[in-house]
Amino acid sequence: MKVFCLEEFKLEFEKLRNKKSYKSIEKDIIDYFFGKSVEELSSGTRLNNSIDAPYIKKRLNGRGGFRCYFLLVIKDENLYLMFVHPKTGTLGSDNITDESKAYLYRKVYECIENESLYLLELNTENDSINFKKV
Amino acid sequence: MECLSVKSEISDTFRSVRDFSFHAKKESLYDEEKINAFLDTILEFKLILEKKTMTINNVIEKIEKLTWYNNLDDESLMLINDLISSIKDLHSTLIRQYVSLNIIRSKGIAKEELKKFKIAIDDLKETYQDLESVFFFLPEIPNFKETTTLLSVI
Repeated sequence: MKVFCLEEFKLEFEKLRNKKSYKSIEKDIIDYFFGKSVEELSSGTRLNNSIDAPYIKKRLNGRGGFRCYFLLVIKDENLYLMFVHPKTGTLGSDNITDESKAYLYRKVYECIENESLYLLELNTENDSINFKKV
Repeated sequence: MECLSVKSEISDTFRSVRDFSFHAKKESLYDEEKINAFLDTILEFKLILEKKTMTINNVIEKIEKLTWYNNLDDESLMLINDLISSIKDLHSTLIRQYVSLNIIRSKGIAKEELKKFKIAIDDLKETYQDLESVFFFLPEIPNFKETTTLLSVI
């Protein structure tokens, strides 16, 4: 499974990773998304009624209570991280609006089409994410 | 006369001190039995909270699974609508219960269990909002369905 992301995800992730109270985000993302099968990742709330490319909102129940939005393109075994936000703390929010969910959905389609994405890779110790422009 | 009164007062005081001293020696201030009963009650309260939190989290998982069913007909959507109302009602009840525990929270009892209970209640609210989004609001947003179609052919 290849893991890609949108610019929106990268910006939020880096902002959160640099804050002490949210530093668990990197481990939470690695533990949940890397080295997993399509079946293992097909849980959470499916937002788009699609079998081939489910758009999923996942609650990561670690310390930060992060909410992660991603698209799973099953036939290619590609995963696209779209957005992440914490539920609590100074940067926390309860939810994102339906308009934002729709905006991210269209954005991920456009970015796949234009190959305007980042590829996420782990370092040799598997404890840090590197972003590589596609 | 005054001398007699002083003596009587001293005797009274002596009796008070003697009685108190006797009982103090007999009963420890930290009566083990009473302390154990108190701690058992706290433990029981913590277990009730943990069980309730687990039940809420199981309900949330069941609700999330409903979003993986495809192309629901109107009858199913009506059932989903009833379910959303019922979850809202459950959420109000749980919030009232949580508020009623303010006094316990202010004393620092079962702090961690109460925190997890509140997180589960908040997650329940988020879950019914998401259910409304998935089945009623997002499909009405222009381009949302179109994006699904476009993504199915990439």
